[in-house]
Amino acid sequence: MLKYWRVWLLVVMVFASIMAIGFKTYPYGRDAVEIVYFSDESPAKGVLEQGMLITHIDSQKVMNTDTWNVLTSDLGQRNVTLRVNGKNYEFEVNHTLGIDVMDIDRTNLNFGLDLRGGTRIILKPKENATKETIDQVISTLETRANIYGLREMNFFPVRGADGDYYVQIEVAGIKRDIVEDLLSAQGNFEAKISKPVEISGGSGTLTLGSSTFPVSLGANETIIIDGTAYSQGDNFTMGGIDFEYLNSTDTRVFLMGKVYDGDDVELVYTDPQRSGVMPVQGGYRFFFGVLVSTDGAKRFADITSGVPSYLDLTGGDRYLESEIFLFLDDQLVSSLRISSDLGGRVVQEPQVTGSRIEQEDAIQEKLRLQAILRSGAMPTSLETVSVGVISPALGEEFFSSTLYAAIFAGIAVVSIVFIRYRSLKVAIPMIFVGLSEVVIILGISAADDAMIWMLALLINFMIVSISWWKKFEIDIYAWAGAILIPLLGMATWTIDLPAIGGIIAAIGTGVDHQIIIADETLSKRKGEKKDYTVKEKIKRAFFIIFGAAATTIAAMFPLMSIGIGFVRGFAITTIVGVLVGILVTRPAYARIIEAMKKE
Amino acid sequence: MTKKHHTGNYKYLVLVPMLILLASVIFLSYGYIQTGEWFERSIELKGGGLITINSLSEIDAGEVTSALSDIYGSVSVRELRSLSGYSMTVQISSEVNPDDVIQTLGGMGINTEDSSVETIGPSLGEAFWFQAQVGIIVAFILMGIIVFGIFRTFVPSIAVMLAAVSDIIVTLALMQVFGLELSLASFAALLMLIGYSIDTDILLTTRILKTTGGLSEKVMSAFKTGITMTGTTLGVLIAILMTTSSSVLFGIASVLVLGLVIDIINTWLQNATILRWYAERKGL
Repeated sequence: MLKYWRVWLLVVMVFASIMAIGFKTYPYGRDAVEIVYFSDESPAKGVLEQGMLITHIDSQKVMNTDTWNVLTSDLGQRNVTLRVNGKNYEFEVNHTLGIDVMDIDRTNLNFGLDLRGGTRIILKPKENATKETIDQVISTLETRANIYGLREMNFFPVRGADGDYYVQIEVAGIKRDIVEDLLSAQGNFEAKISKPVEISGGSGTLTLGSSTFPVSLGANETIIIDGTAYSQGDNFTMGGIDFEYLNSTDTRVFLMGKVYDGDDVELVYTDPQRSGVMPVQGGYRFFFGVLVSTDGAKRFADITSGVPSYLDLTGGDRYLESEIFLFLDDQLVSSLRISSDLGGRVVQEPQVTGSRIEQEDAIQEKLRLQAILRSGAMPTSLETVSVGVISPALGEEFFSSTLYAAIFAGIAVVSIVFIRYRSLKVAIPMIFVGLSEVVIILGISAADDAMIWMLALLINFMIVSISWWKKFEIDIYAWAGAILIPLLGMATWTIDLPAIGGIIAAIGTGVDHQIIIADETLSKRKGEKKDYTVKEKIKRAFFIIFGAAATTIAAMFPLMSIGIGFVRGFAITTIVGVLVGILVTRPAYARIIEAMKKE
Repeated sequence: MTKKHHTGNYKYLVLVPMLILLASVIFLSYGYIQTGEWFERSIELKGGGLITINSLSEIDAGEVTSALSDIYGSVSVRELRSLSGYSMTVQISSEVNPDDVIQTLGGMGINTEDSSVETIGPSLGEAFWFQAQVGIIVAFILMGIIVFGIFRTFVPSIAVMLAAVSDIIVTLALMQVFGLELSLASFAALLMLIGYSIDTDILLTTRILKTTGGLSEKVMSAFKTGITMTGTTLGVLIAILMTTSSSVLFGIASVLVLGLVIDIINTWLQNATILRWYAERKGL
């Protein structure tokens, strides 16, 4: 049996690919839709989150987006129960749930936006941008997307072949207006500082710079400041600062004072002198300076005056008991401790610092804080250079047309090959080898499959080693195929329409090469002076095949970088398809033909 | 045509592909003189907007063209029908707002629910176009290196390269005739054509130069193999053309079909003739 080790390798890799493409399992069943967006009027906003899976609506099963659309088309005014991530939620609905959903992935294949549907926008900085600026832009967009609850939005920097940087935004299942809102949105930034007031014997003093105000505890958790009573959550202005009364204990009253808003942050420094990341003991420390208005600086001094400090034992530094809380659109996005030496001082250029264990985390956190302090404003003006709003093609229609195409293509290939060789034994294996190429290409592209391919690598290695030990003929390509293809298997790329075009192209060359093999091996040519052995004939076939494969790969290389990756899928798929062909499937086909020839 | 390989006048066969190439160059140049462009580029390579509408019912492209061009100036409407439904693409210039066009189409009673919009800014389109031009040059240089590496002789290598260049030029001209624009997808298909072209060329060259036997028989046997190869690939591609409603896949498949048909002529009339002549002179 080991004589057919090439065929066994093919079988192993087809099997691994099927496993790799797999069938994704979900804890709440494979019939579900994924939440992608809540409109403002949605009663579920703030209760459910993007990415959650809805399986039932009023105990009816939600199979896919089509059933979802039917079931939610007109709900009237009533209570609707959704089963989300295995739990029931009841919502009071006024005609619409305001939830946008998309179909869940049922395989490990990464389908492109042109198949799943969604929005893709490409932005270009108006001035020549550095990588640093692009990172700032992306961090700003990520901050905004988080506030919007769009957690599955992808931003990536792309560099065109002309050297210019672009920012590509991709989000599946989301409509363009939402993305455009996000791009134009400037957040409403506020920084607030917590202000503890010491209470003893039911009264204390609120110190704001040089002014002081008497504070005393009232009934029902109210407090009385400067003669006026406030309940929890009340807002008031004291000493020119907007305060909110949070809560109180017998010994302390906690207030929150607004120190800066978006206008107070005049400049967030990004130059290398005033912004950067440096290694420190045990990690990386990021820092950047901020220029604040004189009013803001005075408010900061007033609020932090008289606040006690404490010693942080881990770092050995002293911090105020007050913290500064950063809000964007009324959502708390970060909080920072305040160094004790800043307490009560008017600081116009405070420095924001922090540390992370990993350098990358420190860089990201710095970018994020800078973005927040800019109120989520872009560090540079951007131009939208491309918008793609794609309706999902991956419906049943797409699958049925693919099926038709495969059937017709199969019939065409079998008929032509049959006409030429008058033998189904040559033609039928061609179809199976071609199909196995499709499966392996898809299996290699699939995500989360490293374990499966590691296993395939191991089995391949054993097959080739044992065959070699048993003295079957093993060549360098066998080793290359057995090892390289499983290693490639760990790669992941997106299957979009150009990639499908690439699969077709690769199958086309695959069939061509099988014909060369069949022809060289089977046909007896008139006038040939010498009889070649089957081995020699196959060797000659492979000379042609390798030459053609090398040229195809060379022709595909420039495609990788053209159009910032629009047709990269075509190039990658074709190159991988050709490699799979010359290293795995065509040797296996040659072995099958060789065996048939000997019969 | 194969009969002629047996006669001494086979050399004149090379005139057929040469004339086709010449006609294509003249055709493309004429277009360049007329419009300032060698060929029509899709919005990806020049900037503009593309609206795609998928529909289960037929759409009257002529009616849509006249209605839209009244309002938005020059538009290009194309209809694609397949076994799985209809789709229509409307190409607009970058000054026109695609949302307005969709609204107009909706007003004409066309169901625009299943529609896609793609816009590319003129500067980005030009950047892509520049990259594509660099890309094809790089592809040819890499191909040249590999072809010379395979054959290590001048005439066969040049013949193979010439066939590939000619495939691409004639295909570009035919794309103009059939109204297919050069898009990034069809550009990918053009580059892929190099691979397909080389397949049969290497087959032919190897059979002629590296096997023994009569020259005519060798060409004939290579032709049989090659035409089977091209035939199966065409079969696959025509199956795609018949079934797909995706303009990307349609573009890729139609460019490959045109190119492969041209490649039959370039390989078996031009390249075969050159190689035969070369082999005769070398006494192979």
